[in-house]
Amino acid sequence: MKQKQQWFKYVALFFIPALVLGVSAGVFAAEVKIGALNDVTGATSDVGKDYALGIAEAIQYVNDNGGVNGKPIKLYQFDYGYRIPEALTKYKLFKRLGAVAVLGWGTGDTEALSPTITKDKMPYVSASYSAHLTNPKKTPFNLFAATDYSTNARAAITAWFDTRWKKHPDYGKRKPKFVCSYHFAHPYCSAPIKAIKDQAQILGFEIGPDQNVSLVAIDAKSQVLAMKDYGADLVWHGNTTMSVSATVRDAFSLGLKADHIVNCWGFDENLPRLAGKAAEGVMGAPRCAFFGEDVKNMDKVVEYAKKYNPGVPLEKRLTHTVGAWANVMALWEAMNRADKAGDLTGEGILKKGFETLRNYDVGLGVAPLTYTPTDHRISGTVSIYEIKNGKFHVVERVDLKSRWPEKWEKEWLGW
Amino acid sequence: MSTTWLPCGDYHQSYREDHAWFQTAFIKGKMFILAVVLLVFVPWLADSYWISVCNQVGYTVLGALGVQLLIGFCGQVTLGHAAFIAVGAYTSTLLILEFPWPRFILDIGLAYPISIGAAAVVAGFWSVLFGLPSARVKGFYLILTTMAAQFITVDFIITQYVSQIGGRGQAFSLPPGTIKIGPWVIDSDIKVYYMMIVLSTLCIMGIANLLRSRAGRAWVAIRDNDISAEVMGINIIKYKLLAFFVAGAIGGVAGAFWISNLAAISPEHFTWFWSLWLVGVILIGGVGSIHGAIFGSIFMVVVMELLQLAVMPLAGEYPKLLMDFLFVKEAAFGLAICIFMIFEPNGLAYRWWQVKNYFNLWPFSY
Repeated sequence: MKQKQQWFKYVALFFIPALVLGVSAGVFAAEVKIGALNDVTGATSDVGKDYALGIAEAIQYVNDNGGVNGKPIKLYQFDYGYRIPEALTKYKLFKRLGAVAVLGWGTGDTEALSPTITKDKMPYVSASYSAHLTNPKKTPFNLFAATDYSTNARAAITAWFDTRWKKHPDYGKRKPKFVCSYHFAHPYCSAPIKAIKDQAQILGFEIGPDQNVSLVAIDAKSQVLAMKDYGADLVWHGNTTMSVSATVRDAFSLGLKADHIVNCWGFDENLPRLAGKAAEGVMGAPRCAFFGEDVKNMDKVVEYAKKYNPGVPLEKRLTHTVGAWANVMALWEAMNRADKAGDLTGEGILKKGFETLRNYDVGLGVAPLTYTPTDHRISGTVSIYEIKNGKFHVVERVDLKSRWPEKWEKEWLGW
Repeated sequence: MSTTWLPCGDYHQSYREDHAWFQTAFIKGKMFILAVVLLVFVPWLADSYWISVCNQVGYTVLGALGVQLLIGFCGQVTLGHAAFIAVGAYTSTLLILEFPWPRFILDIGLAYPISIGAAAVVAGFWSVLFGLPSARVKGFYLILTTMAAQFITVDFIITQYVSQIGGRGQAFSLPPGTIKIGPWVIDSDIKVYYMMIVLSTLCIMGIANLLRSRAGRAWVAIRDNDISAEVMGINIIKYKLLAFFVAGAIGGVAGAFWISNLAAISPEHFTWFWSLWLVGVILIGGVGSIHGAIFGSIFMVVVMELLQLAVMPLAGEYPKLLMDFLFVKEAAFGLAICIFMIFEPNGLAYRWWQVKNYFNLWPFSY
């Protein structure tokens, strides 16, 4: 009995002071507080882990370089396992801790929290590049430093049309047949489907039945056979890398004579590793440079990856680290500007920070950033890559804004 | 027989007294204090974060009540309850966004309250549909049929078809001002909190009343031994389906409540894991007890949040601690279930009952 009481005392001695400190965590206010929601255990963890590492490293870099005009950033970074109720409570916790902005993760949490962050005027810089978040009339506080999924998808299908279909023997004789393969239940996967089908119609494609492939699929043979029956010339993959590699591998082994284009979260350094030969010729829109690629500011990304996560070999690091850096760099610049203007609040970060950026170059292979009060699409120019001998090469830079200026301005915003 | 301890020498003289809600002045006083705490002190003392944690508890209670009814009172194991919550949430959302309400209904703010009722009815009937196999199968086989509810409802019907209504891809977003009860626009955590208290109280009272009715007794009989229950003349198919209806209806209310909390909805909000989590809630809280659903929800939400706050001061030294917290939480969830199964199989509700009895019988509580 005595022993039991002793244990209780030890537990109480640790937890009660910790709890008091934790509950009152919001009172220490010398820092700029930022929340981060990441997925390292959920449905999108295959790409989320690397992104989460990138966020932590980039914030270290910001703090090593003076933070926000001399004020260090305090990062509260949580894994929410891609569960929406978890994301909601974590977001409320960030608010309670006094966070001025949140670095979010997927389309699930971003779209679910969108009404709330709009009401709270909380900048939410996420890795969900859904075009639904680019119209400031509807979602003014949702931001990201990348071209959106729909723009990427339109650019990728256009690049395929320009570089592959025009050389096809059937070019001019029949319409190319196009199929979308993605996990219907996930908003991330389905976000650009309407746009890519619209672009397919603009380019004169014939659109086949969508194929539902789970984000955690390790086999997609039945879906590939359906694509084969349809006679697809081109397949759009909207999932993340594990699932895309499984589909591409099955397509290779079942002899599907189609080309593949992949959304950014399925088009990373792991794709050629996992799919091997089957990944040869696959095209994609990675939204930023690949890890270690020779572009501006990549040296810092590599340096901090070595310094803060030496346990993760550099050859295992992915483009998603770079994407995380891009978001942090954009938020950093916006916060610096807002702070200089004396308004480091959610609204200040948006109006006096992000919306003052004009062709701001964060490097890292990201298109220069421009946010206006009426349009949060950063750019209309997208670099399309393809895999050749296991390496990524740029095949075309598609400028949607100059090719379809009217549609870009009047039709395509926000979807 | 009444389960309330009465002062020595006091006896009930009618069934009415025996079944009364609050049988002594002391109990009435306790209930009054509880009402004051919930309606005055919590909203007054708690900040927005803790209010949102309370809302999360309320959502979990509403979800777990249906699971408790099916598993704890009727013995019908379910692993697909998130599907019925989803049906309720989508019914309510679609009625608010798409239904051509007459102007006066919108003006007097009745669209959302009506949609909550409709959500309960639709989710109830949807639940009955997946309860039909319970007429023929039980045990593991029934678990599989309820899991089918999850996959057919959420992954197939809602994702493929319902989510596409209005051409908006996957997620529905409810514009500000659309979630409204009378003149009361539900646009802050505190308003959601009050709504949660009202809905939870109504659902708890509804279930508590049902349990002391003919239906409640039939459910318990079916749980204890369905063959004996049938021999006694209970129509077990009818009462099993009634249990599915009521459980689904409360799930529907939970779903309709959830949309007020987020003002957005997508199929991802209703994963199979949530169904599993609700079963964990009643296992920890105590199977076969309304208190169990409440205590389990408080444990699973509040204790986890407190644990998180306790590790936060260490985050300066060990930043990865916060990132790894979900692992800690998952491990704590699994561990808690194991510990409760071994050391307190009747859950927190039983412990509460013991504590209450200790004080009720004091100083002769041996």
